[in-house]
Amino acid sequence: MGIWDKLTRLLGLKKREVNVLVVGLNNSGKSTVINHFKSEEERSTEIVATVGFNVEKFRNKNVGFTAFDMSGQGRYRDLWEHYYKECQGIIFVVDSSDRLRLVVVRDELDLLLQHPDVTGRRIPILFFANKMDIREALSSVKIAAALGLERILDKPWHICASNALTGEGLQEGVEWLTQQIRELVSNK
Amino acid sequence: MNAFKRDKKEEEEGGGNPFQNIEKTTVLQEARTFNDTPLNPRKCAHILTKILYLLNQGEQLGTMEATEAFFAMTKLFQSRDVVLRRMVYLGIKELSSIAEDVIIVTSSLTKDMTGKEDLYRAAAIRALCSITDVSMLQAIERYMKQAIVDRNPAVSSAALVSSLHLTKIAGDMVKRWVNEAQEAVNSDSVMVQYHALGVLYHIRKSDRLAVTKLVAKLTRNSLKSPYAVCMLIRIACKLLEEEDSNGNSSPDSPLFEFIESCLRHKSEMVIYEAAHAIVNLRRTTSRELAPAVSVLQLFCSSPKPTLRFAAVRTLNKVAMSHPAAVTACNLDLENLITDSNRSIATLAITTLLKTGAESSVDRLMKQIASFVSEISDEFKIVVVQAIRALCLKFPRKHSVLMNFLSAMLRDEGGLEYKASIADTIITIIEENPEAKETGLAHLCEFIEDCEHTSLAVRILHLLGREGPRTRQPFRYIRFIYNRVILENAPVRAAAVAAMAQFGATCPDLLPNVQVLLARCQMDTDDEVRDRATYYHSILEKQNKALSNHYIVEGLQVSVPSLERALHQYTLNPTETAFDIKSVPLAAVTPADENANKMAANAGGMLITPALPGSKAAVAAATANTVTREETYLEKLRAVPELANLSISLFHSSDPVELTESETEYVVRCVKHCFPEHLVLQFDCTNTLNDQLLENVHVQLEAPDGYHIVRSVPCARLPFNETGSTYIVLQYPDELPASVGTFSATLKFLVKDCDPATGQPDSDEGYDDEYMLEDVEVTLADQVQKVSKTNFGSAWEEAASTHSELEDTYSLSTMGTLEEAVRNIINFLGLQPAERSDKVPEGKSSHTLYLAGVFRGGHEVLVRAKLALAEGVTMQLTVRSTDPDVAELVTSTIG
Ligand SMILES: Nc1nc2c(ncn2[C@@H]2O[C@H](COP(=O)(O)OP(=O)(O)OP(=O)(O)O)[C@@H](O)[C@H]2O)c(=O)[nH]1
Ligand SMILES: [Mg+2]
Repeated sequence: MGIWDKLTRLLGLKKREVNVLVVGLNNSGKSTVINHFKSEEERSTEIVATVGFNVEKFRNKNVGFTAFDMSGQGRYRDLWEHYYKECQGIIFVVDSSDRLRLVVVRDELDLLLQHPDVTGRRIPILFFANKMDIREALSSVKIAAALGLERILDKPWHICASNALTGEGLQEGVEWLTQQIRELVSNK
Repeated sequence: MNAFKRDKKEEEEGGGNPFQNIEKTTVLQEARTFNDTPLNPRKCAHILTKILYLLNQGEQLGTMEATEAFFAMTKLFQSRDVVLRRMVYLGIKELSSIAEDVIIVTSSLTKDMTGKEDLYRAAAIRALCSITDVSMLQAIERYMKQAIVDRNPAVSSAALVSSLHLTKIAGDMVKRWVNEAQEAVNSDSVMVQYHALGVLYHIRKSDRLAVTKLVAKLTRNSLKSPYAVCMLIRIACKLLEEEDSNGNSSPDSPLFEFIESCLRHKSEMVIYEAAHAIVNLRRTTSRELAPAVSVLQLFCSSPKPTLRFAAVRTLNKVAMSHPAAVTACNLDLENLITDSNRSIATLAITTLLKTGAESSVDRLMKQIASFVSEISDEFKIVVVQAIRALCLKFPRKHSVLMNFLSAMLRDEGGLEYKASIADTIITIIEENPEAKETGLAHLCEFIEDCEHTSLAVRILHLLGREGPRTRQPFRYIRFIYNRVILENAPVRAAAVAAMAQFGATCPDLLPNVQVLLARCQMDTDDEVRDRATYYHSILEKQNKALSNHYIVEGLQVSVPSLERALHQYTLNPTETAFDIKSVPLAAVTPADENANKMAANAGGMLITPALPGSKAAVAAATANTVTREETYLEKLRAVPELANLSISLFHSSDPVELTESETEYVVRCVKHCFPEHLVLQFDCTNTLNDQLLENVHVQLEAPDGYHIVRSVPCARLPFNETGSTYIVLQYPDELPASVGTFSATLKFLVKDCDPATGQPDSDEGYDDEYMLEDVEVTLADQVQKVSKTNFGSAWEEAASTHSELEDTYSLSTMGTLEEAVRNIINFLGLQPAERSDKVPEGKSSHTLYLAGVFRGGHEVLVRAKLALAEGVTMQLTVRSTDPDVAELVTSTIG
């Protein structure tokens, strides 16, 4: 990045643009979450299982987000890593009603954290304990414990319970992420 | 827009190709900027262009490189720049077959194909269909169906054409889109209608009745799109041809009526298609032909060059089958001889040549002579080819034509052109013994001043082969020796080899040849000196057998195999000497096949046939594809149970069908002959989509003496796949017992399964079997063809070294000598020598010479004297290094 770019960034003259990566098991609600962030007219009415990935754009508090919404199916999870390097934030969506697969979630999270392109970077991770509306859903505290989030010491992280169908909890989460990214940029 | 303008200006200033100096590694390096944020769309599009340029120049990317570039490219989906996105689609298509995990872009492309941006939709469909595989297709089926009936014609066409491509991987699924395709046929867009018809036809083409119905319906409806009408004409033709070959053609078929009515269509394209169809249909009578030819005739004088070209090209093609009709256009064709478009002119002339009577040959040749110097080599070659056809048609005209060719030879011209002339002269010499001496004389004269080394080498080789057997061999020596004095090293080497042929075959020339060869031993070039020394010392021995083996016949083994065998030998040091018998023999390819291959190899360039040990020969042989045996051997080696078979696969047969066509299981058998073993390879195809076969093997009842060593089953045979099962047998000790009939049954375990997924319904299966046709093991399966350049001397020599058997047969079922010759060759599987497989017209007796090697390395030479008398009588003489083999040959005939 040239000096001029850095300067304009520091002065906040240029709009901030960031890339975030959206991961999590299939059916956890990633695409539904992202869809909710988009403006009314851009929103899709129907969400189908993602194959590969989709790029979506939305804005929050003057930050432009480019979200790589990855597919969570087993056979595509290996492909997430191709997109680690360029992302400045990670949104990790968990289906809090799917107790059975929490161990799988933990495995995938560990793989992510140990990846050379992620480990050692101060990259903020936002967890959504999604589908909180379902009766047997675990609380965000229980999810955090089950995933062992307390082990993450070198990265800012945050977990909030959400319902992607109504949008409940989503705003809180993304505001946290926006704040983190602003801080990171101005500390650069 | 701006960018276009600038580029154009640069071009005018002679800026040249801006991509001339780009290099793969640099460009791939640059492609890493695709990962940058924020993106610079202009820059990225430029880099993508370079990648596409490189790929289209034939640059190869490795899987890793391609995958890395592909994933970098996927990040460009974050840009909303339309130009860049469309470049990305192109990039996806190009890399889809090389990179891994390309399905990663499935959702992104589906979004674009269903989105609001029309500029994306069609291109996204095409890209999507190139990355998708069968397992993904179900997920996009719904979108494809919608796209086919989309209101935007570009989208609809893209979906239809992509469906056509998809039939290759998922024919059954595309069949389910028939209703959508049906709807698209009614589209107002000419392209959509055309593409939709293509898809509909493809879906139904295996169902004759359905196609007939489709055509009947559409011919009544009068399609709007001329493209679609053209296609309909082609489909109708195909139906007509099928009717004819099934023997149920009706004289006034509505299909033919339809095609004929298209001669009056308002679109020229359709008119031409109809005329083209009619002249090419086998059933067309001369009455029906007339209107089509008049249309073509009319086109011949059209102001549009494309129409003139199409017309004359069509007439040229049917000149042989309908000479009378084409002659009717002679006047128009003669006008086209001077057409400013040289393609048209050349086609016109060659058409006239084809239809001309023997009497008009002289006049036409004069006419060509007047302009042949004005046309480019490419068209001159077309003319040469026409002359070649003419020579074969009118053998008596060979001197006029040969003179003409030699005049052409003397003119300026590139290698390809000169080679085609020399080739034609050589063909004439070979087909017509009377033309031989004149032909050789022309070639001698030509090499006096020939700037093409490869051609001079080839002609010298021919002189060496044919010269010694002419009436006055000494005449050629002077021409050949002149080359030694005047030419470059490769030509000198070839001249030395040619002289040695004279020395070996003509005893009275030997002293002179030896003197000349001795002089060549002082040559400055190593190869020339080596050859001279080699030939000189062999000839010095004056031993007929020696010179036959090492000068006249040369190397019989396949050179690439020899190279591999020698390499193998050097890797494992051993005490025993290298055995050349263990090297597979060079496959003898039929002459025309060879010519085709050469034409394909080097665009009509001549390649020198094997001079013993010459560099050119090695190059030619390695350029040739490996032998059939080599290819099979590789496959056999990959089967662990067969790996320890002897390394030398001696001969592999053509595949033999053991089932009728269109049965549940298709089985073909290839017989592989090893020195001591016979391996039967059964290639089985399962055509039932509701069955999975397991443990597929063949049960064989072998004739006495054969011993079954092992059977290798095929573990799994899913629907639509071909798998192989093998049986290894040991040949009987007694040779006569090796010829016999095996009865065979296919045995397997059936598991019923779901046709859609191919998954078995349960783990339980049941045994089943399927009767196959008998497998015959013949003499021909156990011999390899060998081509003898000089059969006479080999035969003579064998009189003292081989055992001989003779017998007389009456082949009462054969009506002609040709038939007898063909049958004997097929039956014995040996290679005819001295072109003795061609029976001169009008003769009542003929001698056929055959040569080959029996497994185990025993040479077999056969002379069959045939005479026509109430059937054909044959006196067969066999000379072989093994008396048992000779016995086998005489006993199996009869
Ligand atoms: N009840 C409930 N259902 C939800 C919620 N979020 C998403 N869903 C549903 O969960 C299903 C899967 O949602 P997606 O957004 O497609 O899930 P995904 O994580 O993108 O899945 P993949 O693309 O396959 O990796 C859909 O049927 C959603 O309607 C939620 O908060 N509550
Ligand atoms: Mg999704």
